[in-house]
Amino acid sequence: MIWETLKPALIFPGAEAASYEEVFQQVGGALTKAGYTKETYVEALIEREREYPTGLDVEGWGVAIPHTPVEHVNSETVIAIAIFKDPVEFVQMGTDDETVGVRIVFMLAIAGKPGEHGAHLDELQRIIAIIQDTALLQNLLNAQSADEIIKLIEEKEKTL
Amino acid sequence: MKKKVIVACGGAVATSTIAANKVVELCKKNGIDVEICQVRISEIQSNLPADLIVTTSKVKRDFGVPLITGMPFISGMGVEKTEASILKVLQG
Repeated sequence: MIWETLKPALIFPGAEAASYEEVFQQVGGALTKAGYTKETYVEALIEREREYPTGLDVEGWGVAIPHTPVEHVNSETVIAIAIFKDPVEFVQMGTDDETVGVRIVFMLAIAGKPGEHGAHLDELQRIIAIIQDTALLQNLLNAQSADEIIKLIEEKEKTL
Repeated sequence: MKKKVIVACGGAVATSTIAANKVVELCKKNGIDVEICQVRISEIQSNLPADLIVTTSKVKRDFGVPLITGMPFISGMGVEKTEASILKVLQG
């Protein structure tokens, strides 16, 4: 279950950022400072987002799932969550220039061996189930604390 | 006759894993014998030939193989249409 692995120190309700680069410096920086990702992680996030954007428009809700190749992550797979007061502009996944105002970011620090595909399917399916649940997205936006966010995700996972 | 489907995304670490699993489930449900080749966008060329390419990232190049976006598997919007077009290619 994802909620059990969530760390309050990596959950940021009421965050503010002017650009996705700033989002990555803040949230990606926290992952690196906490030792989950390598020094190259933030730069790799920015570089990868430019080529392979991760913005999603889920029935009007802006979500993003930035991540890097495994080479930039240490041994543990962790997820950081940031909820933004004001939308941050991301390009939509699968497009060059269609943008979406993102307020919910699930930053995935996926560990593994380079070239190893198909790992973490269970965790990824749970994340997909979460970001496709617009009622949950609404509740996440209104959550005031990390614990509340973890509780919401726990309740969702219990229905899967 | 076994079908080969290449599933690709930027880093072949997250979204292609989801899309690959969805294609496997769809083929199982419809009795299609399929081999999935999950790769990075940059590795598509070297993994041809294939019957179909499903990507969750933007691909401009034409590989001479039907290419369908797997984006709906991630956003959850328009999944039926995507599955129908995948079946059309694999059962066509």
